[in-house]
Amino acid sequence: MASICLVLLGAGLAIGAPQQEPELDPEVLSAQQKRVEAMRKASMATVGVFGLDSQGGGSGVCISADGYVLTNFHVSSPFGHRMRCGMNDGKMYEAVVAGIDPTGDLAVLKMYGRDDFPTAVIGDSDRVRVGQWCFAAGNPFVLATNLQPTVTYGLISGVRRYQYPSGTILEYSDCIQTDASINPGNSGGPLFNADGELIGINGRCSFEKRGRVNVGVGYAISIKQAMNFYGNLRSGRIVDHATLGFTVASDPQGRVVVSNILESSDAYRRGLRYGDEVLRLGDRDISTSNQLKNVLGIFPDYWRVALRYRNEQGVQESAIRLQSLHQPGELDKIVEGSSEQGAKRPGEAKPAASKDSLAEKYESRRGFGNYYFNRSELDRIVKLQESRKPALPTGGPDDALQVRFVGSVLGESTAVETRFDPEKIHWALADKTSSVPVKGGWGSWIQNQDPLPISIAMRLWYQWHEQGPRKLGEVIYIGQSPVLGKQGLLDMTRVVLGEVTAEVYTSLSSGDIELIELFTDRQTDPAEVYFDYDAASPMAPMPSRVRLNYGLESRLVVEWLKLDTLPVEKTEGVPGGQP
Amino acid sequence: MIDLALRIGAILVVFLLSTPWGIAEDKPSSEVPIAQGSLSGLEELFQNAQRSVVKLYGAGGMRGLESYQSGVVIGDGSTILTSWSTVLDVDKVRVVTYDGRRLDAEMIGVDPECELALLRVENSKLPGFVLEAKAQVRPGQRVFSITNLFGIAAGNEACSYQKGVVMAVSDLQSKYTGLRSVYRGKVIVVDVMTNNPGAAGGALVDLGGRLVGVIGKELRDEQSGIWLNYSIPAEVAAASVERILAGKTRSAGASLALAKNPHRALDLGMVLIPNVIPKTPAYIDRVRKDSLAARAGIEANDLVLLVNDQRVDSQRSFEQILQTIERGDSFQLLVQRGTELLRVQIRP
Repeated sequence: MASICLVLLGAGLAIGAPQQEPELDPEVLSAQQKRVEAMRKASMATVGVFGLDSQGGGSGVCISADGYVLTNFHVSSPFGHRMRCGMNDGKMYEAVVAGIDPTGDLAVLKMYGRDDFPTAVIGDSDRVRVGQWCFAAGNPFVLATNLQPTVTYGLISGVRRYQYPSGTILEYSDCIQTDASINPGNSGGPLFNADGELIGINGRCSFEKRGRVNVGVGYAISIKQAMNFYGNLRSGRIVDHATLGFTVASDPQGRVVVSNILESSDAYRRGLRYGDEVLRLGDRDISTSNQLKNVLGIFPDYWRVALRYRNEQGVQESAIRLQSLHQPGELDKIVEGSSEQGAKRPGEAKPAASKDSLAEKYESRRGFGNYYFNRSELDRIVKLQESRKPALPTGGPDDALQVRFVGSVLGESTAVETRFDPEKIHWALADKTSSVPVKGGWGSWIQNQDPLPISIAMRLWYQWHEQGPRKLGEVIYIGQSPVLGKQGLLDMTRVVLGEVTAEVYTSLSSGDIELIELFTDRQTDPAEVYFDYDAASPMAPMPSRVRLNYGLESRLVVEWLKLDTLPVEKTEGVPGGQP
Repeated sequence: MIDLALRIGAILVVFLLSTPWGIAEDKPSSEVPIAQGSLSGLEELFQNAQRSVVKLYGAGGMRGLESYQSGVVIGDGSTILTSWSTVLDVDKVRVVTYDGRRLDAEMIGVDPECELALLRVENSKLPGFVLEAKAQVRPGQRVFSITNLFGIAAGNEACSYQKGVVMAVSDLQSKYTGLRSVYRGKVIVVDVMTNNPGAAGGALVDLGGRLVGVIGKELRDEQSGIWLNYSIPAEVAAASVERILAGKTRSAGASLALAKNPHRALDLGMVLIPNVIPKTPAYIDRVRKDSLAARAGIEANDLVLLVNDQRVDSQRSFEQILQTIERGDSFQLLVQRGTELLRVQIRP
């Protein structure tokens, strides 16, 4: 490498003295060519973020052809909800904010004007190692008046770094440290590996006494964390980070043990107790208490992640639901505070609503960065649902018909029946029958871990397809979350049905409902109803099988055999018993 | 009076931060990635070299004085070379190794001219750099720094790497510039910001992973406001280590026979600042007119570093060493005045 540097310097000198061609190692030339190409491609997707008056700003990176841009929350927040994004083609594109993550300092913007925006290739930040070359692209010191990004080259100086939040927001956990120059204006911009793959979002530097200029220490949010949150950010929500419901400390032997645990937490319900040793969270081994905090930061709230711990009985493999880091409304206040500060910026003219071409792309609502995006994501879910609408029997609950699913317990002859009419939801297992009203009165059945919630979920499944998700209740699209035993992420939509909240997980590609979770509150295990589809089954394209879980325990698996309809019974049938 | 207040303030800072919470140990840490498959040359070099760099914690933590710095392990692993700074003004310096172990280090000795100190750790099981005079660099050469700048790494986290190119190898000419440094010798100047808070004492390595320099203290040109990013070359450091090991600057309180009729600072005309903490530095507050000290050229605000080449780490050790010198005998003081080091002969 020393020789490479010297050779390159020599090449520079040779320009002034063309009579003598220096001999260049072909490897050097090809490495240089590769780097030039990686930077050229990466620059295409790099975005300069400006205010409406074209003042500003920061940087960003485009990750979808329809114009979704990842940037920092601290870049977008001074502009409120409207901004302009400059790209390497020399054009400015109008943009609005979609979702924001004040805790993790991320925001997603949407640019308009093209459907073929150049996008960055998403890399694997878990494979980033100290000593690898990398480069940052962006708009440092707002230099890019011609909208061409500035590229700075450097090393990965450290990985898995943690930078404390200011208060409870702008926390950088598990981040990448680089000595590529990161200066004011680089914020929100991309960090690429040597191959030009996106590995992080630059957002922070260590400055201290030398003023706000680079001192060789910049930090990037890992692209893994950013992509974990991306699905949620596209929902237009103010998204939140997670807490575990327990704290840890290092014991004298250096083990990471539970030092405090809330009895209301999912971890407690899964059996974790004071003094147990925490071994692994998600896909990362834990050997210090600080590591646990570092790993936790990359997950959105509501995610269910694997937890390995050791108690007196031995090593336990479990999975826990993450709780929200902030109280309801707490983040709204923080966001309001930061945009109020932003409003004081000179030149931030109030966008004239009547003239703004993107006026209809913004909708203010509590808990949302821009509710418009929640509406449009729900539209997408509805479209998927409509395209996959099964041929349901003519008529339905509104036509005074009873819908009936008939099946049996998997591997047994025990008969199962789910039936619902405009007033009641019925359940029968062998000769035991029960029923609940279509509205209300469900909570105790879930809390008592009864099998009846299968009927509630089957009715939800039916209505979802028959009437569409929007008719079910108060509906919010939450984003993308993992489901135990499934690869990748699924769309998650929350439906408030009175005292019970249903979380509906649907496949990103097919829109099929994979899981419905019925919550009474966050302190009790929900009823988890998983739907299996089998094209060979007579039920297809309806679910051929449902599995009911509470916690991590299987409660019942039902094989459906047929769906039919009956006239509504005039007299009340079986009186509903309490489980 | 203002001077005195400032100095007492400085002492209090040192005192407060000698308490355990001055030691930044509760920082989050994370796993050192174990690379799978083949590593590139640089990745492998970095994985190996960073094992010989340690994080050091001691006094400081307020008013621009960091309580942490970096150190390089040399030789068989039992010695650590680092910058001589206020961080080391504690009985035991806390050493945190690359694999997260916490060890205590004792001071072997210091070299005031080079502002280097040598520490000893028992059973470190750390690989040491070979410190050799022939490990030299030339301008244009690629180098890397390995330091715990800004205290970013804690526990088993790896120290930070930065890349750079040697811009110059030259004497630190502080006479004609605004660079006020005690060290005036040869330095390696690099083109990137290596000398950040906490980086002092860290390693400068070449592409072969050889130790070519020790990162110097933060240094700012008072005229231009520019920070200099420099290292003390391996050849200078190697000579300095030899001097320290040769015992030229013995530790304070070395067992020397007490004089029957010893010197006392007050009798010499030196009034020290109030002794308020166990390690109050031997700062001179006032010098009595026409005293031996005044005649020798001692001035107010001088800091006594050495007495006859024995290290003075506190007012107590200053008095202890004076007690070994007969009142009739002449002796030499090394004092720091601003950024100047002066040798002063006291002649009774």
